[in-house]
Amino acid sequence: MRFRPPRRLTRPMHALAISALLAVSAGAHAGTASLQQIVHARQEHFHMLGRTAKSLRDQIVRSHPDWTVVSDDAHRLQQLAAQLPSWFPAGSGQGHGVKTRARALIWRDPRAFARAAHALFSRARDLSRAAATHDRRTMLLEFRALGHACGSCHSRFRAHGSWW
Amino acid sequence: MRAAASPAGVRVRVWDLPTRLAHWAIVTLFALCWWSAESGHMRWHLLSGYALLGVVWFRIAWGFCGSETSRFRNFVRGPRATAHYVRKLLRGERDGAAAPLGHNPLGALSILAMLTLLVLQTSFGMFAVDIDGYASGPLSRWVSFHTGRVFAHLHAFNFNLLLVLVALHLSAITYYRVVRKERLVPAMIHGRKDSRSMLPAPYFAPWWQAALLAAGIFACVALVVHLR
Repeated sequence: MRFRPPRRLTRPMHALAISALLAVSAGAHAGTASLQQIVHARQEHFHMLGRTAKSLRDQIVRSHPDWTVVSDDAHRLQQLAAQLPSWFPAGSGQGHGVKTRARALIWRDPRAFARAAHALFSRARDLSRAAATHDRRTMLLEFRALGHACGSCHSRFRAHGSWW
Repeated sequence: MRAAASPAGVRVRVWDLPTRLAHWAIVTLFALCWWSAESGHMRWHLLSGYALLGVVWFRIAWGFCGSETSRFRNFVRGPRATAHYVRKLLRGERDGAAAPLGHNPLGALSILAMLTLLVLQTSFGMFAVDIDGYASGPLSRWVSFHTGRVFAHLHAFNFNLLLVLVALHLSAITYYRVVRKERLVPAMIHGRKDSRSMLPAPYFAPWWQAALLAAGIFACVALVVHLR
């Protein structure tokens, strides 16, 4: 009996097409993986922002805050606020096959997003300056202003979800 | 003071003012908490949450020292009595002359579940931390950011359970209105309902007792909220 090669190998064009398809799908997978890494890193940055804000808040609600911690946290918040725009590279929002609440509006209206990010940075800078005064009342007001800057950005550029 | 026995089919006083006020305060504050959380008005969310915490604990305390129809021991029934009531309900039987005024055994289950979930909800909220670390519960200082986030997720999950319970509660009210022709909502507004019960009229606690209890609970909530 004569050996007959498998049917798929007798059709080189089909094999080529399948190879190309696999290569494209692998590329797409790699793209999604890196996108997931970007989104994960962004979420980690926001967790860091939240952790730092909580640490600062925990101090300033006390009658005798530890001003060293307050100052360090305020400085860290300012640094994170300055970095924030870089956490949103193009194509890392909703509609790119990865779970995120970053609205496409961030990239559709980059000037508005930049203004919102700058407002956050300004509030964080004011908070950092207020930390040097060791005035708890001023810190509470500045912290509230920072919270409003967070909230106004979220209401516009983050997809709706409950506050948690 | 006990009044004379209620004659059959007459309108009798069932719910005292503190119970009715607590009921409608819970409804209003629950709605306010929901709206403020969804719209990001966290200051309102915290304030309405504290108020809800106080009202829930007031209702629980009133269940031990309040008027007769509000006391747990007078309406919470065991599984056998509850099953018996459900069978009666399914057969379409009316409450007899010996049926107690106030909550029926199914309503009692609903109240216990509702109060339990509301206690959990307000307790989780006290320790919850939002993702920005900005709007946090008053006791969140005592937990880490990660633990505070866990409490926030529990707060969210428990809220969904509460929504299911609210839906069940509203369905039961509709069932009683449509099928059994019993108007439970007006009774919870003016405190009276038509009853064929031949039992003596229930005891109603004096108003100053409720005022004293409310003041004590308000002071406790204020203390807990300002715990630093």
